[in-house]
Amino acid sequence: MLTIKNLHARVEQIQILNGLDLIINPGEVHAIMGPNGAGKSTLGYVLSGREGYDVTEGEVHFKDENLLALDIEQRARHGLFLAFQYPVEIPGVSNMEFLKESVNAMRLHRRQEPLSASDFLKAAKTACQQVQLPLDFLKRGVNEGFSGGEKKRNEIMQMILLEPSLCILDESDSGLDVDALQVVANGVNSQRNATRSFVIITHYQRLLDYIQPDFVHILANGKIVKSGTAALAQQIEKEGYAFLNTATSLEIKA
Amino acid sequence: MNPWFQGVVARAEAKSDSLSPLRQGAVHSLKETTWPGRRTEHWKYTSLSVLENLELVHTPSNQELTVAAIENVQTIDLLFVDGKLRTDLTALQLPAGLTISLLDKADGLQYVIATSFFSQIKPKRHLFGLVNDALANDILFISVASKSIIKPLIRIISHHSAGHEAHQRVLVRVQQAASVKIIEQIEGQGQHLSTNFTEFEVSEHANLEHYRLIQPSAEALHFGGNHFCLHQHAVLNSTLLGFGSVLSRTDIDILHNGEHANAKLNAISVLGDSAHFDLHSNVEHIKAHGKTTEQVRVIVGDKANAVFNGRIHIHPKAQKTQAALHNRNLLLSRRGQVNTKPELEIYADDVQCAHGATVAEIEEDALNYLQTRGIARDQALVMLNVGFIQELINQLPDPHLAQWLNQGLLPRLKEIAIT
Amino acid sequence: MTQQLEQALARQYEAGFVSDIASDTFVAGLNEEVIRRISAIKEEPEWMLEWRLRAYENWLKMEEPDWAHVSYPKIDFQAISYFSAPKSMKDKPKSLAEVDPELLRVYEKLGIPLYEQEVLAGVAVDVVFDSVSVVTTFREKLKEAGVIFCPISEAIKDYPELVKKYLGAVVPRSDNYFAALNSAVFTDGSFVYIPKGVRCPMELSTYFRINEQNTGQFERTLIIADEGSYVSYLEGCTAPQRDENQLHAAVVELVALDNAQIKYSTVQNWYPGDENGIGGIYNFVTKRGLCQTNAKISWTQVETGSAITWKYPSCVLKGDNSVGEFYSVALTRGHQQADTGSKMIHLGKNTKSTIISKGISAGQSNNAYRGLVHMGPKADGARNFTQRDSLLIGDRCGAHTFPYIESRNPGAKVEHEATTSKVSDEQLFLCQQRGLDAEKAISMIVNGFCKAVFKELPMEFAVEAGKLLEISLEGSVG
Repeated sequence: MLTIKNLHARVEQIQILNGLDLIINPGEVHAIMGPNGAGKSTLGYVLSGREGYDVTEGEVHFKDENLLALDIEQRARHGLFLAFQYPVEIPGVSNMEFLKESVNAMRLHRRQEPLSASDFLKAAKTACQQVQLPLDFLKRGVNEGFSGGEKKRNEIMQMILLEPSLCILDESDSGLDVDALQVVANGVNSQRNATRSFVIITHYQRLLDYIQPDFVHILANGKIVKSGTAALAQQIEKEGYAFLNTATSLEIKA
Repeated sequence: MNPWFQGVVARAEAKSDSLSPLRQGAVHSLKETTWPGRRTEHWKYTSLSVLENLELVHTPSNQELTVAAIENVQTIDLLFVDGKLRTDLTALQLPAGLTISLLDKADGLQYVIATSFFSQIKPKRHLFGLVNDALANDILFISVASKSIIKPLIRIISHHSAGHEAHQRVLVRVQQAASVKIIEQIEGQGQHLSTNFTEFEVSEHANLEHYRLIQPSAEALHFGGNHFCLHQHAVLNSTLLGFGSVLSRTDIDILHNGEHANAKLNAISVLGDSAHFDLHSNVEHIKAHGKTTEQVRVIVGDKANAVFNGRIHIHPKAQKTQAALHNRNLLLSRRGQVNTKPELEIYADDVQCAHGATVAEIEEDALNYLQTRGIARDQALVMLNVGFIQELINQLPDPHLAQWLNQGLLPRLKEIAIT
Repeated sequence: MTQQLEQALARQYEAGFVSDIASDTFVAGLNEEVIRRISAIKEEPEWMLEWRLRAYENWLKMEEPDWAHVSYPKIDFQAISYFSAPKSMKDKPKSLAEVDPELLRVYEKLGIPLYEQEVLAGVAVDVVFDSVSVVTTFREKLKEAGVIFCPISEAIKDYPELVKKYLGAVVPRSDNYFAALNSAVFTDGSFVYIPKGVRCPMELSTYFRINEQNTGQFERTLIIADEGSYVSYLEGCTAPQRDENQLHAAVVELVALDNAQIKYSTVQNWYPGDENGIGGIYNFVTKRGLCQTNAKISWTQVETGSAITWKYPSCVLKGDNSVGEFYSVALTRGHQQADTGSKMIHLGKNTKSTIISKGISAGQSNNAYRGLVHMGPKADGARNFTQRDSLLIGDRCGAHTFPYIESRNPGAKVEHEATTSKVSDEQLFLCQQRGLDAEKAISMIVNGFCKAVFKELPMEFAVEAGKLLEISLEGSVG
């Protein structure tokens, strides 16, 4: 599904990713953890194609396509979804309108018929219920006046409706209480299947109690310094990131 | 050309002193200037007809004056009467880093520095700025050396005597990372004409806390202004308090000439009787990352006339500018008027810029509430008026100064008749 | 991101074609003789000619205004022709069936199929081609309701008392430079009269098109809604693509008597000039409405065209409790310049006005809002609310706001707010990451920005306006 080879990337002249390698197969759930400033969010932005994030070296292949050669919306239509850490507000544009346009853009790319208004409404209603957002959220502006938890749930709802192949969740658990966390986790788990993959970027182990990862990676100083199973996450929970200083001979800025 | 203006041009041409080279440009421009009328955009609501046949004495009076201290505030007082400096500069005990001199007596280096920014901050000035350029005599130059923190409040008191015409100019330079507090008090008696302009160069990382009190007599004809040039990371906090008079026009210009400068301007005016007060503010965001917060609150009663024009101009490369202007006006009487125009001219897209203006009277609900708590209506009105202004006074950095300002403000607020 | 947004509009002005229609056009130049000839061709009564000549005398003494935030080379008023009519119009057609099919094809090309409109949409249309009204549909049906909807040239002859009473009552001949010029040389426009208590049974609409080159268009519209009546009027405009600038100096007067309501909507798409700023219409218009007691006038406009726009649809709220509204979306791109807004003059008690102005600037254009809210001494309890929002697309355009607020009454309340924003990188990124291309994203965001105004437009116009905005923004992202 996703192959990252020796990825180097920088933002505003500062090198953030320094030779990152990662392979994700269909159906797998990978967690990426690491100290702040390590480059976790940067990885998400680089993969989605955000302007201002320059790849200086390396290759990325997504479903056999050279990902780095595609535009932002082409990557999205190809099946890459990024759930933002801080979703932005777009007042005046209703959630309903936005979602419908987006869903139909995806469908068009997949050579499917666009959804009729009533079919879309049905799908939207179901998705709303799944993330426990009241229906009238659809009428409001995109993220307009939403609380942090509501914004995160809105991101999951979009993920459910757009049916992506690869979902990158950037700190989707930050700022959430236990209930909201469960809603988010349930939303993600309901979408797991043999063909869909997930990259869960998180600083804390907590979310991984609810979404069992297949693999856990530690991103530090711009590259993956250690990989393991869910047990690795437990270890970080107990010992923090300092243990890595002995494990690798790199100094980790935690 | 009316008689008064002709007189001014004649005197300007005849004047010859060490500053003549500086004055030349102004004299020339004056001769080409057309007298502003009703149709002149920036004088639309301010009639100059009372000026046209004015005949006043052009030499300073000899009257004796003493300066009252400000309780709990240490000041360095500089007294001007009809544009002439009365204070003996040599007798002043100035803290290290502070130099105060009269321009025509300044030493070589000081002279060069001061004249480098004389009339440069706002080259396109209006008629009265030009008159000031041409006719101001005792031009004061205040310089604060780099990194000096001047603790006492520098107080420039300009007193104008009845029957006199005077022109006064001050230049202030605050060097890198220095910090200074300056208050300008403009007052007078009877009918007089004055132009009072002060120019400030605020260097990188410097900090200027500034106040301008315009408390003229009711018959005063006053034209003045402050021009601030802010360099990188400079910080300006300026408070203006004006009471209006027969004719009063103040221009405040703030130039963001360096990135990351921060300017705060609070202006309060309380007008009663037939007072007129015209405030024109102009903020130029030339460089990026600048911030300006401007709040103007005006109370108009009796037959007073408040005029406000607040312009914010964001130049094409001034990205990431944050500018906000809020003008609130309380119109208390049927015979008063409020004319306000906040303006925006924006040529950069990545900016946060907003303005708001309201004109209203005291809310009946608020009045009612106070009355139900036993407060007489008249008193309630005063309380609410005071509250309206208080919000800005409370933002003053120095609480003693705030208290002193309130002492001058409160009687005025009580006086304003609401008819 | 800025690069993406920055691309100048590649879109071709769709209405830019020229129609090869044989026409009678006056030689360029303006003098008393020209005015007499216009009056003669229109077969006007003596009093109308006198009125025009008085206006011309005024105009000669006036100076072209220069205070607007627009700059343009001086107009040579002697280089303009003041009259042009398609030859086939010599004998005025009585119905669509009699109109020159060539002319009808012009309107069809513009997407205004008159037959369809006549039969299906039930909107009465007055069609003006250059200086003449081509045809007015549905006249009989309207007549049954007592509604008069005809070209003003006819009204001058058939309803002189009404015209005499109200022409120039709201916009006097000497009001401003372009109004004076218009009063002297206006050639046609719409006249509407709605009798007491009548709710006009259908929407009235006019399409103006300037076709002949080097002509100016000076239409004059007068709408009178008698006590308790209601009318909704739509105005649409187009012009061909030409290298020289053409002048459109119209005057629209609305009179809403006690308890009457007039809704006036405009979708303006005059030729804006090419990507280098050459050519384009100069749209200098005076529009004003007068409200008597309890009356209401709403101006709604979507302006996307013209090289230069200078117009301030206004309301004089004379009668107590009268209401004035102004909803506007003005889009400028390329090298367009707009200085537009509204004047609300509150004279009566408890009068109310609302101004919602949305400006969108792209390319190297300049978009200015100029407004006046005046509270007169007798306007007890009057209220105004003004909201001006500017959206900047790209970093080479400008957005400006000049609101004049004058209050002479303590009981009157004025609230004005202005904000500036841009389509942020984050917003664009969010849309793109959800599969929408940048153009679609901007179009959606701009539409959301204009929502408050679009919902005030009559249905047909709202759809047209939305589409027009979308097409206008095409190419602003690369």
